[in-house]
Amino acid sequence: MVPLTGTSASDGREFRNGLILAVEEINERGGIVGRPVEPVFQDTGSQSAEAVVRAARTLITTHGVSAIINGYNIGPQNSEYEPIADAGIIYIHHNTLLQHHDTVASDPERYFGCFMADPAEYWYGQGFIKFLSWLRDSGRWRPRNRKIAIISGPKPYSIVIANAMNACAKQFGWSTDPAPIILRNLQPDWQNILTRVREADPAVLAFTHFHAGDLAKFHLEFMKNPLPVLLYLQYGALHKSFSNIVGTRARGTIVGTVIGLLRDDLGRSFAQKYRQRFGQSSTPEVGCQPYVALHHYAIAAGVAGAVGNPGDFGTNRRIARALLDIPYRSVAGTIRFHPKWQAAIPYPDATNDPSMGLPHLFYQLRDPEDAPALIAPEPFSDSQFELPPWLGAAISEGLK
Amino acid sequence: MTAAGQSLPEQAFAGLQLPLSYWSADLRLLAFNPAFSACFDCFKGGIPLGITRAKFIDEVERAGLLVQVEAAPSDDGQTDVQPKLYFSDGSVYQLQSWQGPDGNWTALCVDITAAHRNERALRKAKDAATAADQSKSRFLRAANHDLRQPLAALKILIYSCIAAQTDDDRQQSLHAMEVSVAIMEDLLGALLNIGQLDAGKIRPSIQTFQISTVLDRLKVQFDYQAREKGLKFHIVPSTEAVTSDRILLERIISNFVSNAIRYTDVGRVVVGCRRVGGHLRIHVIDTGPGIPEEFHQEIFEEFFRISKHQDKRRHSLGLGLNISQRLANILGHPITLKSMVDRGSNFAIEVPLGNIWHSTIGEPEINEQIGGEFAGLACLLIEDDPHVRAALSSLLQRWGISVDTLANLNDIPASVAALERQPDIIVTDYRLNRELLGTEIVNEVNEILEKPCPALVITADTAPQLIESIRNQGYPVLIKPVGPPGLRVMMHNLLFEPEAIAELQ
Repeated sequence: MVPLTGTSASDGREFRNGLILAVEEINERGGIVGRPVEPVFQDTGSQSAEAVVRAARTLITTHGVSAIINGYNIGPQNSEYEPIADAGIIYIHHNTLLQHHDTVASDPERYFGCFMADPAEYWYGQGFIKFLSWLRDSGRWRPRNRKIAIISGPKPYSIVIANAMNACAKQFGWSTDPAPIILRNLQPDWQNILTRVREADPAVLAFTHFHAGDLAKFHLEFMKNPLPVLLYLQYGALHKSFSNIVGTRARGTIVGTVIGLLRDDLGRSFAQKYRQRFGQSSTPEVGCQPYVALHHYAIAAGVAGAVGNPGDFGTNRRIARALLDIPYRSVAGTIRFHPKWQAAIPYPDATNDPSMGLPHLFYQLRDPEDAPALIAPEPFSDSQFELPPWLGAAISEGLK
Repeated sequence: MTAAGQSLPEQAFAGLQLPLSYWSADLRLLAFNPAFSACFDCFKGGIPLGITRAKFIDEVERAGLLVQVEAAPSDDGQTDVQPKLYFSDGSVYQLQSWQGPDGNWTALCVDITAAHRNERALRKAKDAATAADQSKSRFLRAANHDLRQPLAALKILIYSCIAAQTDDDRQQSLHAMEVSVAIMEDLLGALLNIGQLDAGKIRPSIQTFQISTVLDRLKVQFDYQAREKGLKFHIVPSTEAVTSDRILLERIISNFVSNAIRYTDVGRVVVGCRRVGGHLRIHVIDTGPGIPEEFHQEIFEEFFRISKHQDKRRHSLGLGLNISQRLANILGHPITLKSMVDRGSNFAIEVPLGNIWHSTIGEPEINEQIGGEFAGLACLLIEDDPHVRAALSSLLQRWGISVDTLANLNDIPASVAALERQPDIIVTDYRLNRELLGTEIVNEVNEILEKPCPALVITADTAPQLIESIRNQGYPVLIKPVGPPGLRVMMHNLLFEPEAIAELQ
């Protein structure tokens, strides 16, 4: 179930690529318990509840799939869990939604097979506040004041992140001013909004919407007359499409992601293989998600000794049990499913052990031709924070 | 020796699994069985017959096989005939001997290792119980006195309250009773803490957290008390993360603050933190009377009082600092005190600084109640079927929404006035009590509310014309039974993306 058309088509293509690469690797070593893996793709286009539920039904009834392994679909609000739970198959996605916790907790028996292989968006909020506090307390950055401005997009994902930032800011010595602004649509009068933010004079501005194109439009507006703030954007700003539009003006912006490709030997060799297979302009950072999930599924099915078709609840329960029991150190870090949430546990947000959680990564954008600097958390970081150019300019302006 | 050449008693002697030996009246070894020689396998060329018991034990001890022989004097004051042998492998044997009519001794080694261990564990448990009992008696004796005071006062106050002639007198007695009860409550609370400490039941749960969470709670706890006394109470904010037990640390610092407020008559009480190496020192500073240097150690002892008269007036029990010290010992956090008479006091506790990345926000479980998109919003739910209402309420509450309902559908203005807070959204059934329409009630509610709020209608009626007519009135419709995803999407759009509702219908 991948969005091969519509606004997320670029991500959808990478999800498809990642799955294909994992299928090829698994089949090369003899498949899963001797059976070759055959991928089937359904376009979810608009990612609406209707489109995603239809895709799930088609995969189950027409193709009789044993598992559905995805990147993300942002619109269905877990309604696709129903046909999947009815069929009792395994579903691993990267929807990054706190709703997943709620749905699983509401009936763990029914949703035994539904897994979210990245942490809920909630952690973006808490992790970001800790990241800011770490920059401040370690002396890497001296904020002018302790005020954070938050702008949220209209989607639940953005609102949850904004709420989470707002809720824990005070504990870490920050205040949110102005109160979080929730946009009703993504064509707002940016200059008007930025003027409102400027009046509150915050030291940090966070925009919690995720779509690369919308983020780029915002960034261009921001750079017309930059505010003296540390600027934070969601993971969409890591996309090539973002840097294609914003170019060198993006330098200095902070971007976070709760699932990304690590820059260690494993991550680098995966990236190389991925680009060889799908071209130099392909994005292994996105494709790694279903790639990792399919490998994890293959290990779990191997331990369970079989793959379960729709209706084979016994086998699929054994596979689900193995997914919970066996943490998997992947190219993105360790996927360890929380026994209650059935979602990946984030490091350092929910575990102190970097070997037992999926790293919540913070990047700082450099020039478009350079890879973004991975500045936190340790031990995964490989670069140092630098003062964004517009803040440096603001300081020298102040000195004059 | 072979079994074939042996008599029956000889065979039994040789085959016995227990180490058995036979000694002359003057304690020389006459015979032994294989189990005995296996047990004392430290003689080159085997155990020599004729060896004296004293020499035998000496040899075995010297070989390192035997660690200790524990011989308690027997009843007649003679040598113990049943000594305990402690072997180097940890086993314990008891030597049991009987003297025959010929004066010779038969000695049997019985393995009592397990029984011995049990006995030791029992003795330890008994010692602990005795110590706890003694400490409890000590506390009850000491507490008895303190508890009697407010009780006696309470008794008198009850009589004066009954006999009070005016309302003022009665109010005064009631207020004094309230104070007495509070003192007793404090005392019982402190005794409970001491009891838990004595029983070793306090197990710290160490985690990293922001010290601001503790400071914020102290502010709430003591602000009023300090202001009532005319004191300035100031907490200097801190952004540090510390590694400790949040609850125990708070109890320690709140004991410091409570003492500071109790003993300070004029001036201020300040709580502030300072980084000292890898630690954070949390200070509670007051402008009170100060503590003479000779008491700087003693004030941390149970029921310690500098001046009995002074402390009685202040209802102090002399337990707070003792509890703080004992909790600090459990946590391994040093407490320091700087104080001079007439110069105030400065109590401080030193806590390891934590890694801010590991700082927990104090929520045991992350779910939508805490962080969902609807968390903190209020919903007015209008539904006459109690089962549907209960199910919908629990679903909405799980999403972090506070749910309110109209008390009386026939008196909307009074019901709206009684709402705890202004709702952010209304969810209503279409047909209510068979005669009322949800849409009309929503209109009426919205006319009264300061800020009209969006509403959605749920109905079991699937007639297309009816649904069309509700939509034409501007309300989106969901058909019963309402699934969580459908309700979620509709509520989201009503609250955050109203333009998108048309697409959903």
